[in-house]
Amino acid sequence: MGQRREDRKLPHALVRTSRGFAAHRRPDAGRMTMSIDTAQWLLTLGGGALPDRNLIGGKAWSIARMSGLGLHVPPAFVITTRACAHYLAEGSEPESLAAEIDAGVAWLEQQTGRLFGAGPSPLLVSVRSGAPVSMPGMMDTVLNLGINEETEAALGTECGDAAFARDTHRRFLDLYAQIVLKTEIDLARDETPAAWRDAIASQGSAVPVGAREQLAGAVRAVFESWNSRRARRYREHNNIAHDIGTAVTVQAMVFGNMERSGTGVLFSRNPLTGDPAPYGEYLGCAQGEDIVSGKHTPMPLDALREALPDVHDALLAAASLLEKEDGDVQDIEFTVERGKLYLLQARAAKRAPLAAVRIAVDMVREGIISQAEAIGRVSPEQIRILLSPQLADGAAVGARVLAQGEAASPGVGVGLIVMDSDHAEAAAREGTSVILARETTSPNDLHGMIAARAILTEQGGSTSHAAVVGRALGRPCVVGCGVGSLHGLEGQIVTVVGQTGTVYAGELPVVMPREEENETLRLLSDWSRQLARIAVVAEARADAHIVDFDDVVGEEQGAFAVLPHGATVKGALFANDETAVREAIAAGAAEIVTSPLLPALLAAAQASTPDQKE
Amino acid sequence: MTMHLVLHGLAIKKHADAGDIAGLIGMPVDAAARQLEEAAASGRAVEANGKYLLSPLARIALESDYSRQYADARTDAEFMAAYEAFERINVQLKTLITEWQTMDVGGQRVANDHSNKSHDEKIIDRLGDLHERADAIFARLVKAVARLSYYRTHLLAALEKAEDGAIAWVSDAKIESYHTLWFELHEDLLRIVGRTREE
Repeated sequence: MGQRREDRKLPHALVRTSRGFAAHRRPDAGRMTMSIDTAQWLLTLGGGALPDRNLIGGKAWSIARMSGLGLHVPPAFVITTRACAHYLAEGSEPESLAAEIDAGVAWLEQQTGRLFGAGPSPLLVSVRSGAPVSMPGMMDTVLNLGINEETEAALGTECGDAAFARDTHRRFLDLYAQIVLKTEIDLARDETPAAWRDAIASQGSAVPVGAREQLAGAVRAVFESWNSRRARRYREHNNIAHDIGTAVTVQAMVFGNMERSGTGVLFSRNPLTGDPAPYGEYLGCAQGEDIVSGKHTPMPLDALREALPDVHDALLAAASLLEKEDGDVQDIEFTVERGKLYLLQARAAKRAPLAAVRIAVDMVREGIISQAEAIGRVSPEQIRILLSPQLADGAAVGARVLAQGEAASPGVGVGLIVMDSDHAEAAAREGTSVILARETTSPNDLHGMIAARAILTEQGGSTSHAAVVGRALGRPCVVGCGVGSLHGLEGQIVTVVGQTGTVYAGELPVVMPREEENETLRLLSDWSRQLARIAVVAEARADAHIVDFDDVVGEEQGAFAVLPHGATVKGALFANDETAVREAIAAGAAEIVTSPLLPALLAAAQASTPDQKE
Repeated sequence: MTMHLVLHGLAIKKHADAGDIAGLIGMPVDAAARQLEEAAASGRAVEANGKYLLSPLARIALESDYSRQYADARTDAEFMAAYEAFERINVQLKTLITEWQTMDVGGQRVANDHSNKSHDEKIIDRLGDLHERADAIFARLVKAVARLSYYRTHLLAALEKAEDGAIAWVSDAKIESYHTLWFELHEDLLRIVGRTREE
């Protein structure tokens, strides 16, 4: 390492102007004669044919694929599953792996014009595990690897932001300690790197100072994670061989906090409403974690169009290309470094129930997916949420707001405010609809929370006990209404709207959305009806032999077992539980009577097209 | 100590029968049942349909007794350090459970309808990771208060059920899910060290 460190004290001018320097500058050759082209254990990603997924793992494969589509991704190389398999079989890395990693690093340096473990423009990398099949228990990503006191200083100078470089250093040490060294430690923000390193070392093992040693430690930790408790259990449950091994992806970090730089997220369609226009957020001169930490408020995508119109257009083109390739809405993380767009990750977007329905139906209309695929993209639970009670249109106009807090669990609840869980339980048992209002809740309040139609607290946020349990119970819940805000409300009838965090005086009209009044839901119903191998109706046929499952609650299994072939089954169960729908089909029932129809209909259609279900 | 433990178990488990409590405090079921009957006879607990509730007075009496019962643990620097470590990782657990119940969709948090299997699997994977780090803390806690091993084994059992696809075992409040047990453990520790919960 000493020798290499010497090499790196190149004149600035050379580093800045010579793109190919990395390949020629190491006299300590022995190890460095290795060329990336003849490497046995690793591959560089980008260009050429798409490598075998079994060899490079899912994450590297998706980087290679994006790159193959002509999209810009930060340069990366991958240590193949073969190297891991060797490690697992022999108990040590392949002999030539270290030299190949050196060559891979040199290639990254050449691609980025940066130096690993040295200034003036230090190369930092991320290290990720990636098995051919994604699997739990594999090592999490280590970011910013390659930072130490020397590169921190260089990075600070380069970005003109010493505080950013210091924080990058802290986050690296924190991740490395947790993920690679498996140490539980809190690193206080205002300490020095030396103090952080000492604190970690006092727990057992130290974080290496040298970038190359850091990388070796992280690679080994990825290999080791293949045999974690969770990974082994998963493979046993899913009949996956234990000797495949995981790949390790090493990718250059890009920086969004320089001039003409920034970071953001783009959705190819709106994931909340399903509106087909691209939707995104951008934060100029920032790193991804600035958005996550909530330290800065990102701007709408228009901010990017104004600042860097070419980048904006390239991004939208990339989103559209990826959406067509994958046939699904894309969630794309990107960073712009000095005017150049890099795609960091693209995956199918998570979406709210309303968006799931609209996007599935729109994509059928646009010819991107089939009706059966659309049915597989929406869950019965999403339909149940769309069809659950809501405040009637205009009901809130003029209504008096008694309290306002943080919306912690959706739904509408109407009832009498009770301040004590025992009272709430007793009143509910007598048939009164109650709303439980507490300063905070604890496990002592569980019975009251179960009995209540909605839960309110004065203190606490979205991770407080009331919020967590409220969501688990499916109760509308509003938290953090303010100290003393609820006490005076005891004994009043209120309407709680969990979606907005508002408590209204009195009983406001609540509506049940109707599936037949919504065009997209109606289309989804029609398509489902064509695929389902069972009728789902609101009224039974006149001559039907009806088995009413509302009468056999708790004994459903027995009822299915003796169900006559061609029977009609009836009950709320079928709207709420898709396994019951599948059991009815398996038991040979001809018809399901329930309400609303679509959740059961969708479950029946999905049961008929198992291939479309993920 | 025996009666204290039974009442403590009742304080943690709320509405519980002898079986629920026996496991938690590491006592044979019939012994716990006898203690519960005695507690009910002396007005320290109220029985309804085979389940018991702590009476309000007994709750107060119990709370004032912890400092005596756990004087050793409270002065045990190793135990208290482990407790502080638990409080730190508890913050991560709470965040993780929130992420389990809500999803970030386009920058807004919406309820997780569990339709996105890969989102759920990722969170269960992270829960497994958190568990493995927490387990080292549990081991240190158990050294001073042996009965806490109940949580250690049952948390792992709940985690493994969730990992095998029974996702109710992550946070369902009505069963001994991972979150239910974790919450009970936190409650137990707060009583042992004599602190109250911060929201």
